[in-house]
Amino acid sequence: MSDIAVRPATGVISKGSLTEDWLALVIGVLVFALSLFSLGGFDLLGWAVTTSVYTDLGKALAPVAKGYSSLGGLGSLAATYAALLVVLTAGVAALGGDVRRFVLAFTVVFAIAYSSWIAGSYAYVAVVTPADQQKFGISWSLKLTNEGGFIVALAAGLVIANVFPRFAEWLKEAIRPELYIKIAIVILGATIAVTAAGRLNLASSIILRGVAAIVEAYLIYWSVVYFVARKWFGFSREWSVPLASGISICGVAAAIATGGAIRARPSVPILVSSLVVVFAVVEILILPFLAQTFLWQEPLVAGAWMGLAIKTDGAAVAGGGITESLILAKAAAEGIKYQPGWILATTATVKVFIDIFIGIWAFILGYIWTNHVTPRADKARASEIWERFPKFILGFVAVFAISLWLAVGTTPDIAKALPAAANEANVFRVIFFILTFFSIGVLSDFRKLWQDGFAKLAAVYVVSLFGFVIWVGLLISWLFFSGFKPPLAS
Amino acid sequence: MSSELNTEAAREVEPLLPIEKKLIGYSLGLGIVLLVILVAINHLFPLTL
Repeated sequence: MSDIAVRPATGVISKGSLTEDWLALVIGVLVFALSLFSLGGFDLLGWAVTTSVYTDLGKALAPVAKGYSSLGGLGSLAATYAALLVVLTAGVAALGGDVRRFVLAFTVVFAIAYSSWIAGSYAYVAVVTPADQQKFGISWSLKLTNEGGFIVALAAGLVIANVFPRFAEWLKEAIRPELYIKIAIVILGATIAVTAAGRLNLASSIILRGVAAIVEAYLIYWSVVYFVARKWFGFSREWSVPLASGISICGVAAAIATGGAIRARPSVPILVSSLVVVFAVVEILILPFLAQTFLWQEPLVAGAWMGLAIKTDGAAVAGGGITESLILAKAAAEGIKYQPGWILATTATVKVFIDIFIGIWAFILGYIWTNHVTPRADKARASEIWERFPKFILGFVAVFAISLWLAVGTTPDIAKALPAAANEANVFRVIFFILTFFSIGVLSDFRKLWQDGFAKLAAVYVVSLFGFVIWVGLLISWLFFSGFKPPLAS
Repeated sequence: MSSELNTEAAREVEPLLPIEKKLIGYSLGLGIVLLVILVAINHLFPLTL
């Protein structure tokens, strides 16, 4: 493993039938279920820590609910850390991981990641509008919004990966970006439902347009990248299939699923996955800022673009989050206040639609390979569709459906209380985002890119990604989403 | 693992099989047709607020 660009996420770890997918579903649904108790007047998550933009560090942290204000900022931070540690340690133990190493590593990961988030909320980093500058008594700021903390966390991870590789190795038991982002996506279902409930027509229109993302990723991107890898770069089928899937569909999961389907050696999709993660980091650092500059007047185009252009769930949804904060900030500076949540919801919808078909695509490729390319006895089975299906999506759909029902199908009292409950769950979504950004950074050792043999693989990626994936994604996003804005904040 | 990549770089190029050409051609063709249909649907039923 030491000679690959990034160490693979430990997402492939499983014990028995429990995988990180199922674990993410369980933890995400648990957070959502606990948040719902507040609908009945029992606030079980109000102690979770939130960070406000600050100039006085002592005022940065606070519990999310006023009912827990006696805890104070540091108390809520400690409670949040302890709760996450207990739940995630239990999960890692169930997966068969090294519990002692996880506890130590997660403590450090949480400390660095949340410190990065606090640093990103410093007024000189986060404040966007002149009015807020005046409010905080500052004359300038980087205008990154408080979600600039994601960039700080990513940068901290990159420094550790590239300057302190032994430290990065020590942290690896708690570096689980796939687990963290999948939990976040399950929780995100509640936020998206609450957002969608306010504008059901727009929400259903966005969901319908997710179909275009499936067509683009599986039928257009995949076939072109596969052709480029095979014809122009001379890669074998064993390498070209995971490579095309990684670049076209969803980096890690698709590369591993389709690599397995054509019976490639396990090391092949893992190496491809590492490449995808490295390039996803590059994309996160560039595309949201391009979107803010050129697409701030087309927020939904920008959101869809992130979902189509950035590979890996973590990077795409994280990129959508940064894009949303940057575009909302730019629009606010121009006097337009959009309702938050729509850009991120568009990115997540596009990404989830793409993910749903990974199992089916893996089965199709497996069928073709085992029957026509390299005929063999162990033919692809229909059950592989279910085996390859990203199970955490079931959690996302369930959380979304229940939240939507609570918002529009129950009593006005429940509908009124739901946003506060979803907001408490959302605090954990943000924390899992932060952990994801930091973990992605720690997994990205750019020096390995220069190793022998990797350049050709990277060349396919560069040609495909910058040659057409980004631009076709932009064109499709424009065709389907241009001219439509998120609702204005009331 | 980089040695596997070096081996990969050194090996003879596998020619595209007819089934691969079909897979590429049909995927691309179907993808473009479906996109055109979806664009038409999008035009007929635009995003609504």
